[in-house]
Amino acid sequence: MARQAWAVVRKDLLLEWRGRSRIVSVLLFGVVTLLLFSFAIGPDSVILQAAAGGFLVLALLLSSTLGLSESFRLEQEQRAIEGLLLLPVDPVALYYGKCLSNTLFLMLLAPVLTPVALFFYNVELGPTGFLQLFGLWGLAAAGLSAPGTLYAAMTSRLQSQDVLLPLLLFPLVIPVLMGAVKSVTLVLTGDPMSQIQSWTLLLASFAIIYWSLCGLLFPHAIEEGS
Amino acid sequence: MTDTKTNTIAVRTVGLGKRFGKQWALAHCDLEVRQGQAVLLAGANGSGKTTLLRLIAGLHKPTQGELQIFGLDPQRERLTCRESLTLVGHEHYLYSQLTALETVLTWARLGGGDLSTDQIRGLLDEVDLGDHRNQRVGGFSAGMKKRLTFLRTKLENPRLILLDEPFSALDTAGQQLIEEWVDGYKVAGKTVIVASHNLPRAALLCERAVYLKQGQMIWHGKSSDMVQQMGLAS
Repeated sequence: MARQAWAVVRKDLLLEWRGRSRIVSVLLFGVVTLLLFSFAIGPDSVILQAAAGGFLVLALLLSSTLGLSESFRLEQEQRAIEGLLLLPVDPVALYYGKCLSNTLFLMLLAPVLTPVALFFYNVELGPTGFLQLFGLWGLAAAGLSAPGTLYAAMTSRLQSQDVLLPLLLFPLVIPVLMGAVKSVTLVLTGDPMSQIQSWTLLLASFAIIYWSLCGLLFPHAIEEGS
Repeated sequence: MTDTKTNTIAVRTVGLGKRFGKQWALAHCDLEVRQGQAVLLAGANGSGKTTLLRLIAGLHKPTQGELQIFGLDPQRERLTCRESLTLVGHEHYLYSQLTALETVLTWARLGGGDLSTDQIRGLLDEVDLGDHRNQRVGGFSAGMKKRLTFLRTKLENPRLILLDEPFSALDTAGQQLIEEWVDGYKVAGKTVIVASHNLPRAALLCERAVYLKQGQMIWHGKSSDMVQQMGLAS
């Protein structure tokens, strides 16, 4: 199963590389989102710094819906997903492959969106902070990708996917959002009471729960009428 | 060719039906196909041929009736059933951004095998796509896509091959290639079910035929008799 999941990852990464305009669009969308948030708050650097963590995670969340829906749009082109299902591929392997490639895709946003956010919101961060932030970004990306991949698969055959996906996804990822916002904010603004561990644990726990649960549900979502 | 046939039932349907919304695409279909047989599914557009093939492939869940593939329920034993069959349908199951070589490599990897580049080149040569191996399939003609998709019947080495309109979009050489491969599969004892509007060509490939009309199986018998008995001579 791991080998098949890895084959899906390789295929998806190759497709991402070939269709580079997708990641560029998602990146630009994230940058514009960060810019709009900074305009909405105004020039007050204290408020901007306090809200920077929240805005950064929201930029990831909003960008993720674009990336996730697009990943299954490619599968629906010429019914490629059916071609995969007709192979003796375990749908669970298919899920974890898609999920991992979606996580990697969202992680690629971090090196661009983080410096942009730090610049817009006037936040200074040392090398350790950057490492912590990228680690948390990875957890948040994993926590968003797991239900996001499931819902993107469920809605991929619908014309209203672009509307339905965020409607279904956003309520479910509130715990991920909370954990990510709190822990990222603590990295950016300081953590005098050592709370970051517990928030990171919450984030990691939900990522694990979603990865396990959605992996079980995916075969029912992807196969017709199961 | 008959010596490769066995008493094993490759496909058995009992009262099989599929409804989409309020419309029955297929109803009360009783069919038995023995291993090694080649069966032609004939009928007008919307008669249920594609639905029947997709049910057999496990892409649709039956609304009513029973379906067995080599004695197994494809809804319960999905992976085992899918190991034993392949479907080449109207759609090509391709990613426009991948080259022909990458496409076959991806199918091979997902199917559990790992072919060398030389092996894939050999396979692509067989369908006259060797010179186009590094070309993205998005730029392929419909016929080239069909040839590439048809490679799956060799790659997956299934016992049951489902072909939906195999001759469409293909030039004469492509159609002959399909015929040669299907003949080879029959000799090898594989079961082939072909849905086609190209009755003269498909009837030569298949010894048995089933005629569907508005989702109902209204006739079955020898392919050679079908054209005459159903008044299909053009």
